[in-house]
Amino acid sequence: MGDNRLMIKVTVNDRLYELQVDPELRLVDLLRDELGLTGTKEGCGKGECGACTIIMNGKTVNSCMVLAFQADGSEILTIEGMGDGEELHPIQEAFIRQGAVQCGYCTPGMVLSAKAILDKNPNPSEEEIRKGISGNLCRCTGYQKIVDAIKDAAEVMGGGGDER
Amino acid sequence: MKKRGVGIASVMFGFGYGEGFPDHSTASIRIKPDGRVEVKTAAADVGQGVLTVVSQIAAEILGVPVESIDLVNGDTAVTRSSGSTSATRQTFFTGNAVMNTAQILRSIIFDLAVKVYGKTYPELYFENSCVVPHGAEEKKISFAELAKIAAERGEKLEAEGSYFPITTPPDPSNGQGERVYVSYTFVTTIAEVEIDLGTGQVEVIRMVAAPDVGQAIHPQNVEGQMEGGSAQGIGMALMEEILFDEYGTLLNPNLSTYLIPTSLDVPRMQTVIVEDEEPLGPFGAKGIGEPAMISTAPAIINAIYNACGVRIKELPATPEKILRELKKLAAGN
Repeated sequence: MGDNRLMIKVTVNDRLYELQVDPELRLVDLLRDELGLTGTKEGCGKGECGACTIIMNGKTVNSCMVLAFQADGSEILTIEGMGDGEELHPIQEAFIRQGAVQCGYCTPGMVLSAKAILDKNPNPSEEEIRKGISGNLCRCTGYQKIVDAIKDAAEVMGGGGDER
Repeated sequence: MKKRGVGIASVMFGFGYGEGFPDHSTASIRIKPDGRVEVKTAAADVGQGVLTVVSQIAAEILGVPVESIDLVNGDTAVTRSSGSTSATRQTFFTGNAVMNTAQILRSIIFDLAVKVYGKTYPELYFENSCVVPHGAEEKKISFAELAKIAAERGEKLEAEGSYFPITTPPDPSNGQGERVYVSYTFVTTIAEVEIDLGTGQVEVIRMVAAPDVGQAIHPQNVEGQMEGGSAQGIGMALMEEILFDEYGTLLNPNLSTYLIPTSLDVPRMQTVIVEDEEPLGPFGAKGIGEPAMISTAPAIINAIYNACGVRIKELPATPEKILRELKKLAAGN
């Protein structure tokens, strides 16, 4: 510690942080332990379950597989940045409406994968949705209500309507 | 070449601990000074929705919107035992405990209201967190006001109740008993699969499941339980196996080696909720947790048999096993 710490600048949920980080610190630990953004969950810690999914420079990544210093200069969106603190994001509203949350552990990662899907294509097919969340494991729901929630969100957000 | 087949399987599942094992749940409910309803239960909600169910039950009996229920959950300082969240028992056991408690509290509230109005029960009813006299609706009195009146009289609008049914151990010689379980949930699953005869790979392309839950208190959550249970059943049927080497070392301790279904392994499922009211259940309801997954694997195994004549007797039905059996079948044994 100390001597070999690295200086990084990272924007998380529209807020710029200048931080000294240990070279071995993982991004998930930076978010959870140093920035207090505990909405991001760690599941397997090996990039296999998707629970720690965040959006980094517009792409979903497993934050357990990225070192904090690798995020230098990047823009990061976590689940805390989805709503505005008062209102939930339409994707989150749709998850509630469709009953897409059971134990909730996969939910933050699922919501961010859903956002990445809809950012890329505001009107995705069921197949595209299922591919888009295939890196996020869920043991409770059987995925159907999550898929339905993403379709629902697509419609509310202005896409949707096309039954491809 | 690919072949398709359809299979069906049913399960009858006794829920609760059963077999004479003591099994109960206790709840308490009070009207708070602001008129909101506090439900205390130690039932652990791990996402299956028991706290939603008990909120609905209390709200229904006490005539309050479900939004005005405050839950106090799982605190040994203030809640009594509700038993474990296991054995598919919480909707039935804690549901019944909350129903019994709400009914006791209803009589306590009416008893006080009778003293206030000088009118008896049939002339009074609950609506929107108020006691309302028939024909004199303008004289309604809110739960908040009633809580104040109760406090002035040194009384409490509070009740505790439980549900503690008796079961009997089965005769070990034949498994029969007077009442081994309080009640049974039934589920039938129909699965359609497509098998690649070249690779032995099985894809579940369609699934319909019909759970008899007595009464679906929250139908969307019943669907959620069925869909999740069926997905686990697909994993059990086709993928999931804990492998050990000869020294007992776990060979597949990771999610990349112990595979569970992803969104691409699970088809769109249809849940047909069957409501055949269970007289002992809260509002007729029964549990759905575990039976949601039990009939899935046999339905898939039957569908594989229907598709290609191969009978898999050891789960999971991996491509290797299916190819081996297909070869045996082709060789005439």
